[in-house]
Amino acid sequence: MKQMTYVGKDIERPDAIGKVTGKTIYLDDVKLPGMLHAAILRPKYAHAMIKSIDTSEAEAMEGVVKVVTGQGSDIFYGDNIADQIPMAVEKVRHMGEPLAAVVAETLEQARAALKGIKVEYEPLPVYTDALEAMKDDAALIHERNGEYWHLPTLPPVPGTNVACHYTLNKGDIQAGMKEAEVTIEGEFDYPLGSCAAMETHGTIAWFKEDRQIEVWSTTICPFIVREDLAHAYGRPIGEVRVHVVDLGGCFGYKSDVTIEQTVAYIASFVPGHPIKFMSTRQEDFTSTLLGHGIRTRMKIGAKKDGTVTGIEATVFHTTGAYADTGVNVAMAAAHNAGGPYEFPNANLQGYSVYTNTPPVGAFRGYGHQESHLAVEILMDRLARKLKMDPFQLREKNYLGPGKTTCLGEKLWKTNGDINATVTKVKDALFKTPKPKEDDTYVYGRGFAAIMKSPKGAPFSTKGAYLKFNHDGSVSVNCGGAEVGQGLRAVVKQVTAEALKISPDRVRSFDEIDTQYCPYEWQTIGSMFTTQGGRAIVRAAEKAIAQLKKTAAQVLRVDEDFLEYDGDSVFLKSDPSVSVPVTEICRGYMYPDGITVGEVVQATADSRLPRYSGPDQNGQGNMGVSYTFGAQGCDIRIEKKTGTVFVDHFASSFDVGRVINPMIIRSVVAGGVVMGIGAALYEKLEFDEKGKMKNPRFNQYHIPRFNEAPGKQTIEFVETPGEIGPFGARGIGEHPLLGVAPAIVNAIYDAIGVEFSEIPVTPQQILAAMSGNDKKEV
Amino acid sequence: MEKFTFTVNGKRRTVEAEPNDKLLDILRENLNLTGAKRGCDNLSCAACTVVVNGKTEKSCMLQMKKVQGAEIVTVEGIANGMDLHPIQRALVDAGAVQCGYCIPGIVMELYATLQANPNPTDDELFSPLNEHLCRCTGYEAIKDGAKLAVEYMKKAKTKVIA
Repeated sequence: MKQMTYVGKDIERPDAIGKVTGKTIYLDDVKLPGMLHAAILRPKYAHAMIKSIDTSEAEAMEGVVKVVTGQGSDIFYGDNIADQIPMAVEKVRHMGEPLAAVVAETLEQARAALKGIKVEYEPLPVYTDALEAMKDDAALIHERNGEYWHLPTLPPVPGTNVACHYTLNKGDIQAGMKEAEVTIEGEFDYPLGSCAAMETHGTIAWFKEDRQIEVWSTTICPFIVREDLAHAYGRPIGEVRVHVVDLGGCFGYKSDVTIEQTVAYIASFVPGHPIKFMSTRQEDFTSTLLGHGIRTRMKIGAKKDGTVTGIEATVFHTTGAYADTGVNVAMAAAHNAGGPYEFPNANLQGYSVYTNTPPVGAFRGYGHQESHLAVEILMDRLARKLKMDPFQLREKNYLGPGKTTCLGEKLWKTNGDINATVTKVKDALFKTPKPKEDDTYVYGRGFAAIMKSPKGAPFSTKGAYLKFNHDGSVSVNCGGAEVGQGLRAVVKQVTAEALKISPDRVRSFDEIDTQYCPYEWQTIGSMFTTQGGRAIVRAAEKAIAQLKKTAAQVLRVDEDFLEYDGDSVFLKSDPSVSVPVTEICRGYMYPDGITVGEVVQATADSRLPRYSGPDQNGQGNMGVSYTFGAQGCDIRIEKKTGTVFVDHFASSFDVGRVINPMIIRSVVAGGVVMGIGAALYEKLEFDEKGKMKNPRFNQYHIPRFNEAPGKQTIEFVETPGEIGPFGARGIGEHPLLGVAPAIVNAIYDAIGVEFSEIPVTPQQILAAMSGNDKKEV
Repeated sequence: MEKFTFTVNGKRRTVEAEPNDKLLDILRENLNLTGAKRGCDNLSCAACTVVVNGKTEKSCMLQMKKVQGAEIVTVEGIANGMDLHPIQRALVDAGAVQCGYCIPGIVMELYATLQANPNPTDDELFSPLNEHLCRCTGYEAIKDGAKLAVEYMKKAKTKVIA
């Protein structure tokens, strides 16, 4: 591999000092002149017609400026299915939905006045699970299902609660299953959960007298928010300006339009005032976006030698009250159901189903971890059925150069080397015998391999703008949202490498502002390093060309004789003939004051090569590198309590090129712990009325300090990719994908019980251990 | 409304507030100290941790009537101008910062621990961190940062004496 100067080194994150000193500005820290506060009323029912709303008492309360309801609103929005509304109009569809809002001088006054709003309802049947809502006699949650605008590739099933039914066919599944000498099947559940970033969702919206709509939001897609608001209020897109200050974590659920349309709707009734709304933690659970809610039925066929012949999978997605943000999750879960294996034949289906639960959106992994839970548990079970070593079974079937994914994309060496990652995990964990059962504990060891497909869209580009300042320092702006993943360090290092200058000479952007930043579709899908980095490299090449053009005039030579080294432009054949960058980066000035050339500033974007939507078989080109990896763990189960302790977790991914070793390690370590949360603790539960039972941090258990693994081994393989800067691929979501199946497989290894649903709780383990020795739960 | 007088980061402050108002709101709204963060409002995430009379408190539920006359230290009060406090420097160097929302609370937790005891056992150093939720790091780098903070604090002390 080519030696790098600044890439691959630990440089300090540009945002670290602001964060440890408490000076970083997050949305809740923003105050604006004339700002008023909003509080939002949530319904008492999860599914009901609104018979009446009486706001008169609230309007008379102290400090109240305006009370807003959805009555009369005709705004629908959504980038996939335009089924979303800013506030309930005729009916409520889940208990976290905005039903009315109060704007007041203070937040306390706004909250107090909510009690003055009287609502009469006519309750309807409530469904909190996709399978219930799919029953023939189920009441419709969206009577207009099928009439909403939707992307042509997302077919709804009108007259049902199915918002989209996606089907992928590869090869001939019937022939594949006929060819199978062994089959194995199961049903797996990855329940609803929350990304639960430490910072909740918030928005400030301001309808200004000059007709600009100015917004500050905790979003990772400010350009989509801008376009959606412009569309909803009939303004030119340029008249909507969205700012993003620092974000206190995302993990998926701050993508798509979440609360922005609701806060803007409220603000539209109080023009001239910035209106601030910050979700409480409870509202962050009940009224933003959830993750997962995916039940997968899967069947795999194989020959006796372990070669797989086909896969059938059906994904039932509890998509929630609105499907716009979740519909692609079910599709991703379906088309990635084959995991890191080549199945010659596949039939994969995904049902996005309306339910009376909060809408699902992106969650770090986007359909992959749910599918991997199914396929990686089934591969272990298949190995047992075939009496084969599970590593051998997997090796026979891994995707790799020349193999074809379920989507129909052929893979190349540049997509990475899964076997190299498996070897690293095997070396870390499987070389020594696991501890023998003792009086207190029983021990287990588990493994899962992973594949992450990219996530794009036809115009999913990312931009970069860089300008040389006249002292030779460089300012770089992109539209990528720093959510903690370390994107600004990547910007600094990739710019430094591409321009051959010290990172100390590079200042990365902080805030995103749609007026000033280059366009970025949205910062999702683990793609900033790949695509944003590529945009920077392309902009740097343009900037270097500009420097050479000016230098050619100064040195009186053709541009192609010139070389650039970061400090100067010089003649290749005689480096003593040179001009310093500082003398040409805003053009060149002759001794008499006459200037030539131009200010060196360049923009570029980076789109996905030949990205396409799904064809009639549900297949298509995702346009960016796939990434492969492997994960495994050593666990210990306390026999008295059933508690699972993760002693050692090992992960390896072929990331193409490590940009910053310290940051990438920390991102992987965090993803693994998030996966441990999903495997062992996290599940949002609803009562029969559709009320979320655990929307608080003392009820929804995310992992704490003492629940992190005793040890993490984190290693990378670097097979360069074709698209990202210097060969880099994405890594943000990947660490989560194999964690739950690796742990479930380890639990089987420890106690011989096959679990198919997560989280696996101590109570379930105790019950399983005290019952039959070998059974499926 | 009543008057409450206390010191914040060494400065005497007087505010008018209701006795049941929460310190976090007063810090953030009245005193413009936004370093302490609101993550949950029910004592379960500790992003709002500040040090009151040498002990950590979750300011989101701490009533003003309990801070009359108190000495309060927040994350804004421990760096010396442009020089980071050794704990802050340690967390940066260990790569413990991702989104940063939990970090002010963690800084103040370590500050209280190490002010009280510069030579903590692992258990004394790490147990208080169980109160703090972090969704980004998986705690590994925070653990490394805590260990490094102990070291940096000792070095800083030696420097002062020398």
